[in-house]
Amino acid sequence: MTDSDRQGSERVDLDRQTEQGPTLTGGQRRAERRTAIALGVAILAGIGLFIVYFAGGQTQIEGILFFIAFGGFGIALGVWANHLLDAREVVEERHELTSGAAGRQALGDALTEEVGPVLGRRSVLIKLLAGAGGALGLALLLPVLSLGPAPGNSLKVTPWARGKRVVDETGELVTVDTVPEDGFLTVFPEGNVGAADAQTLLIHVRPGSLKLPPERMAGVPEGTFVAYSKICTHAGCPVGLYRAESQTLICPCHQSQFDVSDGAIPFFGPAARPLPQLPLGVDQEGVLIAQGDFSAPVGPAFWDMNRGR
Amino acid sequence: MSMVMERSLKYLDERLGTSSLARKTLRKVFPDHWSFLLGEIALFCLVVLIFTGTFLTFFYTPSVREVVYEGPYAPLKGAEVSAAYNSVLRLSFEVRAGLLMRQIHHWAALVFSAAIVIHLCRIFFTGAFRRPREVNWLVGVGLLFLTLGEGFTGYSLPDDLLSGIGLRIFYSVTLAIPVVGTWVTYLLFGGEFPAPDIISRLFVFHIMLIPALLLALVGVHLAILVLQKHTQFPGHGKTERNVVGKRLWPEQTFKSVSLLLFTTAVLALLGGIAQINPIWQYGPFVPYSVTSPAQPDWYIGFLDGALRLGPPLDLNLFGFTISEVFWPAILFPGIAFGILTLWPWIERRFTRDRAEHHLLDSPRDTPVRTGIGTAGLMVFFIMFLEGGNDIFGVLLNVPVETVTRILQWSLVIGPVVTFLVTYWVCRSLSRSRLHPAHISAGLRLSRTPDGGYETVSLEPATDDSEREPTPAS
Repeated sequence: MTDSDRQGSERVDLDRQTEQGPTLTGGQRRAERRTAIALGVAILAGIGLFIVYFAGGQTQIEGILFFIAFGGFGIALGVWANHLLDAREVVEERHELTSGAAGRQALGDALTEEVGPVLGRRSVLIKLLAGAGGALGLALLLPVLSLGPAPGNSLKVTPWARGKRVVDETGELVTVDTVPEDGFLTVFPEGNVGAADAQTLLIHVRPGSLKLPPERMAGVPEGTFVAYSKICTHAGCPVGLYRAESQTLICPCHQSQFDVSDGAIPFFGPAARPLPQLPLGVDQEGVLIAQGDFSAPVGPAFWDMNRGR
Repeated sequence: MSMVMERSLKYLDERLGTSSLARKTLRKVFPDHWSFLLGEIALFCLVVLIFTGTFLTFFYTPSVREVVYEGPYAPLKGAEVSAAYNSVLRLSFEVRAGLLMRQIHHWAALVFSAAIVIHLCRIFFTGAFRRPREVNWLVGVGLLFLTLGEGFTGYSLPDDLLSGIGLRIFYSVTLAIPVVGTWVTYLLFGGEFPAPDIISRLFVFHIMLIPALLLALVGVHLAILVLQKHTQFPGHGKTERNVVGKRLWPEQTFKSVSLLLFTTAVLALLGGIAQINPIWQYGPFVPYSVTSPAQPDWYIGFLDGALRLGPPLDLNLFGFTISEVFWPAILFPGIAFGILTLWPWIERRFTRDRAEHHLLDSPRDTPVRTGIGTAGLMVFFIMFLEGGNDIFGVLLNVPVETVTRILQWSLVIGPVVTFLVTYWVCRSLSRSRLHPAHISAGLRLSRTPDGGYETVSLEPATDDSEREPTPAS
């Protein structure tokens, strides 16, 4: 290639082409300069990265220097591509994708030619082959069952049980004096602090503000200490916000709102079921205790939640 | 040709016979259009994700074992946290360039998914999915799903409070699957939430299973692209039988590498100066605590919004329960992504168009498809907005209930209006002759010899006289 170039330049005397290569136009010379500057900046940024890293590192400066280094490199190649290459627009013909009927026939033949007579008929062997494959396939799936325990009853019960004493998240016993009026507290059964399915909100409501049927009022000591599951019945977030003046519980995830005075029935948002109530009582020392498990399975709905609890 | 080049080409050619194939590859022609670079941006984000992600795995501990935080971040000193959370804090505060790598990784994931969605829009609105490219459409939709899974699993790994809440919601969604929900959930999570195995399982999904599938499908995606050759917009000299553009070498290679470097540059800048997912502010995951407000990464936003918009409606079927979560989080995405997946076949049922297409549509010339596409995007956009209903409530100083009600009505009206407006705009644009592919050079006003005036429409402005396409050899 170099030879032919040289011959060309010898033939045309007036052409300024010399061993230094072809002459550049003004635009190309500018582009070359811009490319050089961009690459130079990238080099400087690269050196800067060394300095910053060994000086102890600094996230923001490192990010900016990486930006300059990669960006300078990118600009250089971009300018190069647009101004310094001798690229032409070209037309390429599309070839036919299909091999046609003859090609397909040939492939079909290649598939069937040498497999012998057995595969051609609906023989017992074919059926057994499918059966063996199926049985083995299913057997290979068995280890998947080891990935988790059978659900059984586990979603329908919690560690709360008759007589379990109520404690807060540090394990301190909770008495009728722990929570002031209009206050609320996250509580657990003693021995199960932090258990996700046992998290419960103990709310001290104003006297006479609860509108519950008598059998449920029986689980509300002094008519003011009511306890609901803290797990949203919609998608399982902890129902973490309580507006005392309206006695409303709000789930911060999807804004379901529950009416504490009326059995924690949802009145706005996507939740469809009330928060299950935990029936409470008080022992001789004034410590709150559970009278049993929740009134319904806690948390979001699942297929068999209302069967055989 | 230099001696070194000649020698190495000879060496390779004599052993692998590469010369003719490599020459053919280098001379392959790609049409030039900015919108064809969207997929490339996604690909380059994936490159950045793999490099930064590999770095992160060297420091991450996929375990929920309780440890006491002893690092330099004072507010959490002495707190009982999981080993996973602890390792991410250590990576962020104690490993030099660790936070930068983590933030670049997170930003790259956000841009990756955004580039994929915009690329998908380009394919959809220009009809690039039509025969013979239906198979590659399926591969692309598969890549979208894998990306959503990859994003969600990665986002959950730090075991912070915000991502823990996300996992809790995901667990509730799988519980809501009719009939098999509880079993699927227990096998996936290893038991009742928060089962201790989940973090290590997410890790295996995030760094092995999903990336392996993702890379395999990217390979298939590109192989089919090369096999079928790229589509092109109609224009001078472009037909269904050819590809007009620049060769892979040198121009396309220079431009692509340039774009790779630019993409990396922008991600590095974002990772350096734009804080993302500050898990130390959220705190460690505690099953009875919650952050407020709580928003997931943008690509899951529509699903969270759907959960907020959903009707409080559970069903009792012969004693069995269908959760209210089923409608917005399983049925809606199932239908929406089902339509998306099957779109090439759905459209064909109505257009009866079975011909091969290598020339792209202009969105304005297919007003029904364009209208359906924008209406679909509007559905997702409204849900995405609802995902931030609590933030809008605070920002606009209106109750969150109002925001939700407005967006619920928007969900009914918005897509219809969007379709009609899009349809009308497309028809008007299509009738006007302001077509991007046939840009008019304007009108020439000339005076006729008898004193009158006449206007002459000029030919489309092209510089074909100088750059006549030359046939590829």
